[in-house]
Amino acid sequence: MWKEKYKIGVERIDQQHEELFRRVEDFIKSVRSEGEWELKQEKVKETLEFMSMYVVTHFADEEKYQQEIHYPGYEEHLQLHIRFKEEVGKYVARFNDTGFDEELVQEFGGKLMAWLIYHVAGADQKIGAYAARLGGGKE
Amino acid sequence: MRAECINSFYRATQDIFERMMDLKTEKAELGVVEEMIAGKEANVVIGMTGDLYGSVLYSFPKEMTLDMVKIMSGMEMDKLDSFVASALGEVANIISGNAVTYLSEHNYSCDIVPPQIIVGENKSISMATDKALKLTLRTSIGNFDINISVKEKK
Ligand SMILES: [Fe+2]
Repeated sequence: MWKEKYKIGVERIDQQHEELFRRVEDFIKSVRSEGEWELKQEKVKETLEFMSMYVVTHFADEEKYQQEIHYPGYEEHLQLHIRFKEEVGKYVARFNDTGFDEELVQEFGGKLMAWLIYHVAGADQKIGAYAARLGGGKE
Repeated sequence: MRAECINSFYRATQDIFERMMDLKTEKAELGVVEEMIAGKEANVVIGMTGDLYGSVLYSFPKEMTLDMVKIMSGMEMDKLDSFVASALGEVANIISGNAVTYLSEHNYSCDIVPPQIIVGENKSISMATDKALKLTLRTSIGNFDINISVKEKK
C-alpha cells in the first residue's frame, strides 16, 4: 500500500507514515483474508487495535513537529486529525455495538484506506513543502 | 452555472485521480441525457444541497473499479464487495467535497450528503430530476461517467 511518492521529505514523519500504512494494510489484510469470519475476528480486533493506537501516536507526533517548525496550517491540520480520529472512533463504537459485523468492518476498511491516502498524499504534503522552504526538510 | 459546476467536478476529479491513483483523466465526451441512469456496474450517488441542489452520479465499469482499488491498496481485487464499494464511495465523496470547495470560489455555497453506493447496471436513479449533464472521462484503465443534475436556488 505504501508508495515512495507519499514521502513528504521529513525523515521522521516519513518513517511513521510508512509504519502507519503497514498497520492499516495488516488490518485490511486480516479483514480480507480467507476463512470463517468468526475465526478471523481475533486477528481483526488485534490489528484494528494496533492500527488505531498508532494513528493516535503518529498524529500527536506529527502535530508536535508542525509546532516545532511553526507550520502556519497547524490549526487547520489539527482539525483534520481530530475528524479522522472521530471517524475511526465512530466505527469502532459501531463494531462493539454490532458484535463486529463483517460487512461493517469491510466498509470501514475501504474508507480508512481512502482517508489515509487522501490525507498523506494531500494535506501532509503541504507540511513537507513548508519544511523544504525552511530548508529544514532534511533533519 | 453549468460550466462552473462541470468544471469544478472535472478539476476535482483530475486532482484526486492524479493524487490518489496516479491516473491522468481527460474529457472524452460531454452531453445532455434525459435522465440519470447508472449505466455501469459500480455507481455512487451524492446529493447536493444549498445554492446548487440535486444529485451527482458517478458511474464506473467493474474492471476499472477493481483496478482503482488495486492501485490504492496494492492488493488484488476480484469482486465488487463491501470493501471495494466503500473505497470507491469514499473517493467519489472526496472528489465531491473538493468540487464543492471550488464552487464556493464561484460564490456558490453548497454541501454534500454522504454517498449512496449502487452496484449493478442500468438502474435508473432519476429522482424526479430533470435532464442531466453527462461527462465521460478517459483514463488509462477505462472510461467512466459523471452525471450532474442540479438546479440553482433562486
Ligand atoms: Fe497529518
